[in-house]
Amino acid sequence: MNIFLLAPIFISFLAGLALLVWSFREKRTPSSHKTEAKPWPARTLFLSALSLSALCTVFCSLKVTGSVVLFHLFSKLPIALSLDSLGRFFVLTVTLIWVVVGFYSITYLTREGEEKRFFGFFLLLYGVLYCLGCSQNLVTMYLFYELMSLTSFPLVLHNGSREAIMASLKYLFYSMCGAYMGLFGIFVLYHTLPDLSFVAGGSASQALLSQGDGLLPVAILIMLLGFSVKAGMFPLHAWLPTAHPVAPSPASAALSGIIVKCGVLAIIRVMYYIIGPSALQGSFLLTVLQSLSLITVFMGSLLAFREKVFKKRLAYSTVSQVSYILFGLFIVTPQGVQGALLHLLFHAIVKCGLFLTAGVFLYSFGYTRVDQLQGVGKKMPVTLWCYTFFALALVGIPPTCGFLSKWYLAQGAFASTAGVFRFLGPVILLVSALLTAGYLLPITMDGFFVTKETTVHADKPCEPSLWMLIPLLILALLTLGLGLFPNAILSFTQSLSDSLFQTVSTLFIIR
Amino acid sequence: MEFVQNLPFLSIIIGLFSGPLCSILDGTWAKRVNLFVVALLGFMQALVFAFTLRTNTSYVYTMGHFSAPWGNEIRIGVLEAFMATFFCLIMLLCLISGTREREHEVEEGKWNLYYIMVNLLLCSILALIYTNDLFTAYVFVEINTISACGLIMIKQTGRTIEASVRYMIMSLLGSGLLLLGISYLYGLTGHLLMSNIKEQVHIIVANGQYTVPLMVAISLICVGLAIKSALFPFHTWLPDAYGYSTVSSAAILSSLVSKGYIFLLVKIIYRVIGFDLFSQSKVIHLLFFLGIAGMIMGSVDAIKENDLRRMIAFSSVAQIGYIYMGFGLGTTAGMIASLFHILSHAATKSLLFVAASGLRDASQGTTNIHEINGSGYRNKLAGIAFTVGALSMVGIPLFSGFISKLLFSQAGVSHPDKLFPTLFALAISTILNALYFMKTVIRIYSPEKKAQTSGDTKAPNIGILDQPAKSLAYVLFILVNIVLCFESEPIIDLLTRGLELFS
Amino acid sequence: MEQYLFFLTILFPILGACLIPFLPYRRRTDMLIYLEFLCLVTSALVLTLLYLSPQGTYTLFRFNSRLSVSFHLDAMGKLFGAMVAFLWPLAVLYSFEYMKHESNEKSFFLFYIVTYGVTLGIAFSENIVTLYFFFEALSLVTLPLVMHTRTREAILASRTYLYYMIGGAAFAFIGMVFVLTYGTTASFLPGGVMDLAKIGNRTNVIYLVYILSFFGFGIKTAVWPFSNWLPKAGVAPTPVTALLHAVAVVNTGAFAVMRITYYSFGADYLRGSFAQYTVMGFVLFTIVYGCSRALKETHLKRRLAWSTVSNLSYILFGVVLMTPLGLTGALCHMLFHSFMKITSFFCAGSVIYKTGKNYIHELDGLGRRMPKIFILFAISAFALMGVPGLAGFVSKWSLAYAAIDSREPLAYIGVGCLLVSALLTAIYMVTILVRAFFPGKDFAYSSLQDITDPNWYMLLPLFVFAAVVIFFGIHPAPVLELLASISGV
Repeated sequence: MNIFLLAPIFISFLAGLALLVWSFREKRTPSSHKTEAKPWPARTLFLSALSLSALCTVFCSLKVTGSVVLFHLFSKLPIALSLDSLGRFFVLTVTLIWVVVGFYSITYLTREGEEKRFFGFFLLLYGVLYCLGCSQNLVTMYLFYELMSLTSFPLVLHNGSREAIMASLKYLFYSMCGAYMGLFGIFVLYHTLPDLSFVAGGSASQALLSQGDGLLPVAILIMLLGFSVKAGMFPLHAWLPTAHPVAPSPASAALSGIIVKCGVLAIIRVMYYIIGPSALQGSFLLTVLQSLSLITVFMGSLLAFREKVFKKRLAYSTVSQVSYILFGLFIVTPQGVQGALLHLLFHAIVKCGLFLTAGVFLYSFGYTRVDQLQGVGKKMPVTLWCYTFFALALVGIPPTCGFLSKWYLAQGAFASTAGVFRFLGPVILLVSALLTAGYLLPITMDGFFVTKETTVHADKPCEPSLWMLIPLLILALLTLGLGLFPNAILSFTQSLSDSLFQTVSTLFIIR
Repeated sequence: MEFVQNLPFLSIIIGLFSGPLCSILDGTWAKRVNLFVVALLGFMQALVFAFTLRTNTSYVYTMGHFSAPWGNEIRIGVLEAFMATFFCLIMLLCLISGTREREHEVEEGKWNLYYIMVNLLLCSILALIYTNDLFTAYVFVEINTISACGLIMIKQTGRTIEASVRYMIMSLLGSGLLLLGISYLYGLTGHLLMSNIKEQVHIIVANGQYTVPLMVAISLICVGLAIKSALFPFHTWLPDAYGYSTVSSAAILSSLVSKGYIFLLVKIIYRVIGFDLFSQSKVIHLLFFLGIAGMIMGSVDAIKENDLRRMIAFSSVAQIGYIYMGFGLGTTAGMIASLFHILSHAATKSLLFVAASGLRDASQGTTNIHEINGSGYRNKLAGIAFTVGALSMVGIPLFSGFISKLLFSQAGVSHPDKLFPTLFALAISTILNALYFMKTVIRIYSPEKKAQTSGDTKAPNIGILDQPAKSLAYVLFILVNIVLCFESEPIIDLLTRGLELFS
Repeated sequence: MEQYLFFLTILFPILGACLIPFLPYRRRTDMLIYLEFLCLVTSALVLTLLYLSPQGTYTLFRFNSRLSVSFHLDAMGKLFGAMVAFLWPLAVLYSFEYMKHESNEKSFFLFYIVTYGVTLGIAFSENIVTLYFFFEALSLVTLPLVMHTRTREAILASRTYLYYMIGGAAFAFIGMVFVLTYGTTASFLPGGVMDLAKIGNRTNVIYLVYILSFFGFGIKTAVWPFSNWLPKAGVAPTPVTALLHAVAVVNTGAFAVMRITYYSFGADYLRGSFAQYTVMGFVLFTIVYGCSRALKETHLKRRLAWSTVSNLSYILFGVVLMTPLGLTGALCHMLFHSFMKITSFFCAGSVIYKTGKNYIHELDGLGRRMPKIFILFAISAFALMGVPGLAGFVSKWSLAYAAIDSREPLAYIGVGCLLVSALLTAIYMVTILVRAFFPGKDFAYSSLQDITDPNWYMLLPLFVFAAVVIFFGIHPAPVLELLASISGV
């Protein structure tokens, strides 16, 4: 039964590699350079593999509880997979986004070409992310964290322009830099806590953290900073606004929705599954991290506000929003963590939706700049309505889901003992929400309410194809639906975050 | 007294008188006589050596049974006999290997003159090695100088004449200082026989008298001999003298003549001044410093040099620096290292000179370093010989240079104060040696440059049998080199015993 | 009997190689058969030796009563010997194909195989004199390989190579003389042989000498400031650069440093002294410096050579931690780096062989034409970057663990250097891969029409090496246990 845990990996890797080899072989004959004669076999393979592995994933996360050891890196250190509740949460989020984006990309990729390569890497990346979610210990996680960087950068450079290649390299090197900073922490942690497997609530005591020559806290700080590179936290956030605009929109959606969350996942794993909140409580680390995350929240919004290129604006928005999550984690309260988890999911849905909308505009009209979008509501009312829901959710207006997560984040901040950040945090979150409204909602306004000069563009509605529209609608529905009926998700996240704050000993008793 | 014990004296006399014999014979016969004499003397020395080794004693041979302090004595011990044998061997090899050049470069009428000089030179070196009398030593130093000058000058080009004049001037300056030193000692002690002087010196030192004059005498002797053996900075005569003379002269001069003086200095240190007094004096610091400076500067000069033979000649300056550095350490280990280096350098340097001439034959007569490309392929044996010589100079194991480097550094390591200077000097000098020797080795195995004009005749290939004498010499030299490395222990043993017998 | 086995193992390749130019070959492949015969027999001899593992000390010859060239088999020598014995036959297979178009291949293979014997001599050396002897011999027998093409550039490079080697030997010599003078014996004994009574209060002198001899032996591992020779020596044919200047020669340097540190001077004696900090400082600088130079370099082989410079200092970093764990890490990286780097060099060599392209900006689009080669290159690149699941990660892990375990602040910085270097490695390796696989939107593949993967002579060794890299990456436990037993953890 446990071996079934490997099924999604197996399917996605196999199909992904097959697609890659296929695309590779094709290039050998120079005649079929531009046009691809029969696109559907590859698409079918892609979609069926994606759906199949998604189904397997759902099945696994519902039924499978054991763990699978892939191989032993060292005698005490297995590379092992198992699904705990955080893992389930993450894996399901990934699956949701992946399926939606996967269907969306069928049409979108006709614009970019090289479908098979994209699909291939997209599937590989799915397998890697699944493993990342399932990782049973820190080293396994690190392994897939690195692989994630390596398999995701071909998505960024997809269109092959010089700019895209440079951006993808920048992305890769930032990610590597972050990963190696994380590795430094792993080295040090391994020396102190030879068992690096994830235990809810962590296994380090406060005494352990303060003993010795002060290497451990520094190493943990470096490690958390390293993983937050992926999450786009200041000062190492610069890759985000470079990589997102050049990537194909489905790729940016995946990057912004999921890849940045991998950094968040790694931070949760380290803070709450290795070290434990009790050991971290009151450490100087948290102050540093809290201030950095708040700076990022504010700065990201401000930069997004100034930005005129649509996808870049969204990228800056991601910088800001992911740091909401990080702030929730760094204040170390149950509500904060719950808010962070909620925001992780909601932001994934919302930001994915926003990027897909941007992709629709790009695909249909070639619009990249915000000021080109005036009057777009006349042509694509449904799309723009979806956009509006996403925007509202990102700002945090009540009926949408974004409100919930921000509520819990603010609650968490108030409940914490974080000194000045107890109050400053919510204030900054609020200011940033205002800025978010400032940079997202005008697009809706301009889109629907056209000023005189731009009436030229107003035509009859020309919505995109259903392959693109339905994913958008699904995401928009989720945005609303999770805001209106949040109970299931709330109770799940609550029990998850509570389990992280129980001491290890009681946890053992419960088991 | 056994008959063998007469041989040293006899050999000096034979050497001396075969000179006039050569002068009345024509060139070819003179050569034969000369080779025979050198071989004979070598054999005689070997007998003496065997005798001393068997009896493990030193003895004094009094000429005409006039006993000390009036008579003239020679003294034979293990060390002397060994050195004499070795020098004869090297001399023989040098002569064999250089025959063709000699006949080519020296006018036919002067052939026998050349052999006179060689005989005189050998006899004077033997005398320097054996003598127990300072004044005799001085006389033979002069004979040595004159015959060496003759050997340089015999190839009559403008440069050799200039070189020999230079050599003459510097040498005479050296002998002058030596003479001055000897007369100081004579004045202080009233003796000329070494053993007598030493007794007197002991008394003087014990009484605390005349320390300054004694020091001056020691310094004068040391400096005088240093000039003659081309210690830096008195080496300016050397490159021209070695670089332009005919090959066997160069080989003999570099490996034997300067070594004869150095051996004389060792002898004076041990038998006249006394090693303890010497090692306490300030002179050793001077020698040490000059030795190291010579090691470095000689190599630097060699690096700058474009002529192969002059380069090898400059390398001699560096090697003589090693020897003086060993003296300068003022320990027995240093002395032994220096003595071993005398042997090793004699074997290696003559090998290099001979091999260089072989390479020149394969490069249309030029020794310019830029035009010998590929000569290692054209004259394979010479190439190998040069490589071996170079490796030995650099101090690669398997060849004698390695052992002498090892001895120097071991001597240096056990010296409390001069440890790091010695070691650094050795290391740097090794690198510098590599810089010019290995560069040349790489060059002789590099492909030839494109011929400037198509009309150039191609440089000849020289097989092993084309120059049998030289080929034989290469092989023997290489053998000597390797034997010195692998049989170093008995040789060092010999040197130690010889030094013990000295005092 | 065992005595002769030792001598045979070392002398067989040397003497057998001397026959290479003189044998009559009907076809070119006859030579290959002879070469492989030499290599395989030697490797078989090595394996027999490892299997029998005789305990005695066997003297080949003596310089004098204290200086002897003698052999002894201990665990570290076994490891090194086994590694060499594994690499050589495959490398010869590769070079046989590579040298097809080059002249003078007979003399090339002569020296190539003589080097095998000399390297084995280093592996099995019993005392510091033997080590030094073979160390010098190695410099000399590899010299003709560096100047093989006999172009002006090659001649200049070989000169530089030789100067560095002799210079290194000159300082290594000092160390040797010290061990001879102040050691109880010249042999290698675990824990060192320093005679503390003889040293007395002159410990600083010994520390200073250790630093000198570290650099002397370390020149072969291209530690800064003596690292320039390695990229320059890249003018040699690729089999030389790959096997000798990424593996055999440079690893003998590392091996020698291990020997003098742990078996002559004694790690316990040196730990915590200024000698340790000095050499560690240089090593750490080299780690970062090598990578930065690699980043700047646009010539493919030179870039890999600079990467070697950096990686060799990983090994030295493990060595100068002066702990058993450090030695484990160093041995581990020595072993794994050999496989990783020889793979990447052989890939580079195949590219050069097939296309004649030497510079990285010329590699555009080749990944499509030579997929096998570039996928193998990617494996080695990822391994060098330290992606988990490949060998490089394991060795980096054990080095970092040892560094943290040593509790030296400088070692902590060292871990940082390792990671910075890993990042730089990622940059300079991935850019190559991106060029090869993603040449850009409008790249004209028609310009690369005739280029294909090379034949099996070249691919077989590469596949074997890459398989080893992957195997050690996912199943390193037995090797690590072996290494730990060698270093006595």
